[in-house]
Amino acid sequence: MDEADLDLRRRTYAAFVELGRAPAAEELGSREDVDAGWRRLHNAHALVLNPATDELRMLNPFSAVPSAYRVHAGGRWWYANCAWDAFGVCAALHADGRIETSCADCGEPILIEVREQAPDDTSLLFHVAVPVAHWWDDIVFT
Amino acid sequence: MNLFRSEEHVARWLGARVPGATTTVSKLSELAHAWWDDRLAPDWLPHTREQNQAILDRLGLTGPFWQLA
Repeated sequence: MDEADLDLRRRTYAAFVELGRAPAAEELGSREDVDAGWRRLHNAHALVLNPATDELRMLNPFSAVPSAYRVHAGGRWWYANCAWDAFGVCAALHADGRIETSCADCGEPILIEVREQAPDDTSLLFHVAVPVAHWWDDIVFT
Repeated sequence: MNLFRSEEHVARWLGARVPGATTTVSKLSELAHAWWDDRLAPDWLPHTREQNQAILDRLGLTGPFWQLA
């Protein structure tokens, strides 16, 4: 990952946080250059592209598309990719937050207030199905 | 990577599938804050494998399941 790609990544994340949505390639530069840079960043696991469209799918921990994990932090609602990323949104923004999701088994709503990096409901459990070494085999499934 | 109300809910959701790893939501929050804290930093650089493994180890997430490739 060279300096130009690191800069594109930085500008991509900054635009996402400023806009509250994924920027289009044209908002960051020439479409050809940005698409090529995003492809290199995707291959380096620094972001995730939609395989069908080459648009941004994940700027981990943020999701560029609606998901089952909504997070209110920093004065705005976000989508996260998974339970881990939901806490990651608060971490990345250095903010307290509110996570809204549901129990994967029964569908009962789960609301978590995150204050000073800690959840208010400590009775909940987190389950991860895929061993760490295989997370990037299929990051969307993970 | 899902949240559950209890062990009973995890077991019912898994059914006959092989379990992965289960932790408390407090541990998850610690992990997320250690892992993602620098994600928006202007001078961000990719974590090395060793840095990420150190985070997992420090939080007691050890054993083959938590070993990075």
